[in-house]
Amino acid sequence: MAMENLAFLIPLLPALAFVLTFFLGKKLPSGGAIIPIVAIAISCIISLAITMGLLQNPEHVVTQSVHWFSILNLGILIDPLAAVMLSMVTFVSLLIHIYAVGYMSHDPAKPRYFAETALFTAAMLGVILSDNILQLFICWELVGLCSYLLIGFWFHKPGAAAAAKKAFLTTRVGDVMFLAGIVLLFSDIYTVYNGVLPEGVYVLQFSEMFHLIPELVAINSTILGMEVSHLTLVTLLFFGGAVGKSGQFPLHVWLPDAMEGPTTVSALIHAATMVTAGVYLVARTFPMFLAAPDSLIIVAIVGAFTALFAATMGIVMNDLKRVLAYSTVSQLGYMVLGLGLGAVVGAEAVGISMFHLINHAFFKALLFLCAGSVIHAVGTHDMRQLGGVRKVMPITFATMTAAALALAGFGIPGTGIGFSGFMSKDPIIESAYLYATETGSWMPYLFAITAAFLTSLYIFRLIFMTFTGEARTDYGGHESPSSMTVPLAILAVLAVIFGALTRTSFYHFIEETFVHMDIEALAELGGYHLAHHGHEPLLVLWMPLIVAVAGLVIAYLIYNRRVVDMSRIVSRNNPVYKLLYNRYYQHQIFVEFFSVKIIYEGLALAGYYSDKMLDWLVNGTSYVLIEAGDSLRKFQTGVIQHYAAAVVAGVGLLVVLIKLVMEVF
Amino acid sequence: MIPLSWYLGLSAIVFSIGLYGLMSHKNGIRMLMCIELMLNSANINLVAFSSYNNDMTGQVFALFSIAIAAAEAAVGFAILMSIYRMRDMINVDKLNILRW
Repeated sequence: MAMENLAFLIPLLPALAFVLTFFLGKKLPSGGAIIPIVAIAISCIISLAITMGLLQNPEHVVTQSVHWFSILNLGILIDPLAAVMLSMVTFVSLLIHIYAVGYMSHDPAKPRYFAETALFTAAMLGVILSDNILQLFICWELVGLCSYLLIGFWFHKPGAAAAAKKAFLTTRVGDVMFLAGIVLLFSDIYTVYNGVLPEGVYVLQFSEMFHLIPELVAINSTILGMEVSHLTLVTLLFFGGAVGKSGQFPLHVWLPDAMEGPTTVSALIHAATMVTAGVYLVARTFPMFLAAPDSLIIVAIVGAFTALFAATMGIVMNDLKRVLAYSTVSQLGYMVLGLGLGAVVGAEAVGISMFHLINHAFFKALLFLCAGSVIHAVGTHDMRQLGGVRKVMPITFATMTAAALALAGFGIPGTGIGFSGFMSKDPIIESAYLYATETGSWMPYLFAITAAFLTSLYIFRLIFMTFTGEARTDYGGHESPSSMTVPLAILAVLAVIFGALTRTSFYHFIEETFVHMDIEALAELGGYHLAHHGHEPLLVLWMPLIVAVAGLVIAYLIYNRRVVDMSRIVSRNNPVYKLLYNRYYQHQIFVEFFSVKIIYEGLALAGYYSDKMLDWLVNGTSYVLIEAGDSLRKFQTGVIQHYAAAVVAGVGLLVVLIKLVMEVF
Repeated sequence: MIPLSWYLGLSAIVFSIGLYGLMSHKNGIRMLMCIELMLNSANINLVAFSSYNNDMTGQVFALFSIAIAAAEAAVGFAILMSIYRMRDMINVDKLNILRW
């Protein structure tokens, strides 16, 4: 099929759009937005066509590869996993670009905005398409750069500049781990090949890496008295990269601050690009994780903890966008948890995680774009000042409610009826239950179900505080232009029906990615015992819905009917509230303690002393040289006779020396 | 026949007189003359060895060094003349223009 030969255009067109928009954007209407929109639309069409082809014949994986260095290549690989991601990223990015034409209409720096978002999309598509880990890392870094540029888009605001720096530095911690993982993996492959890397075999290609898994598991080294498989180390270092990019605890601190960028950028980061890169990395290297002892358990624990931890903060935030930011962190926790559950459910874990990722991309993009619509019209994102926005913005209210229902996961268990969030979150929670019954570790299940309750609570708190009741301040406002409401409507339809439509075929399609691998054997290498879904008790099936309804009812009673006076509970004297409102003092711990006290002041002190030492060294050297020169200068008297005497003395000395040398030797 | 050592002795005496003069006098012209003395003592050596070894090279070399001495004297006088015009004296220990 001809479309498959055009696969390389998918990331190239947005990259080209970046260059064109950057240089020509000023001369075109609305900052040259048409260039990235057309480029991404073409990428989207190609991606969808390839996905359709793969749906018909999942074996027909698209691969293209060019020689780069003797053992490295540049290439693309589109298997079902990549195809699904490509379609989602191009589609969501396209909608966000169209929406941004309206949202950014008053901004003077539109060409820069559209150029950077185009590059962001291109970098993310590069991450997805890469068929080797090194190329993936290059695009990965490009994603990080673009997030830095876009979060700091309004760089004249000190908050935005600080948030951009924080995002860049925090994710950098993960990136360094990722790079260390690649280096370690490369050295292990080197060991496997006994130091002779074969010419023409691209060693960092995923297929080659997966091929070598049994040999890699056998390489051990002792760390802190424990025998650790190198594959565990490599996968955990990769996961470190994912923790940074996908905002998992403890590197999630940058994500809520990323709200400083334009809302469309937040939507792009939180739904389609940046944060999904980490989940995608783990999904892409899933066979390695599956074969690595203990890695998946750590992945599951980190994911479950992040899901709950972020959700607790989501319920006290007063900023519209911050609630959504913590919601993203929490939902990413679910995705990572889903991957970690591969320890029990095998390759299906990638399916349930990616399913949640895709559904989340739709409803989270929708939530952010709705929030952007409100902010665009009203000019504030403090929920305490809003209220009653429903009357002014009916379309935004309707779409946001649909997104909220999807996020909270409403649906009827055991049937095909439900919002997309329900379709994807339920399998994760059910798998967590299976995990608990198989391994006896209940922590992931309990955290996941509690987080589901909190999710419902905070999202309906947001809806009730913003859209219902009476207006608390006089904000005016109007419904957004159609360039903004049409993308909202499209996303809303997807958020409602996508999950239910693709529910049965999705897992099957994603699992085709790993059809060539012996999943059971890999799990055995990792020391896991795969189990199959039996008949969960009815309570387990209904539990996610029960907690979601409970969250909705509590939010309704508190924030709409006001049966409880929140102002009494919401006081700085309530220690729980204080802890949550101050976000567990993360800012104090991370910024003021780690960054300022340890890193900044520590480095300053070290710098002071190294300065002193260098000064001493430089000054000492110069002093010695000046003194030496000065004393040499005194030999130069300018008196000819002294020179003559020196010549005579020198010749005399020479004669004596020659005589001596001749006598002795 | 006068033994070689006498020539060498004469040469050493002339060289020492020249060296002493070079070191002790302050007048530029006298110093030039002393250099001539030292060069000539070397010429005496050259000629003496030449005759002793029955080899003409030494004598040719002596002629060569006389020519160079003449050139050196010419240049030296020229320098001293210009110093005299500049400073009104040729007293070398008052000249520090060689010093930077």
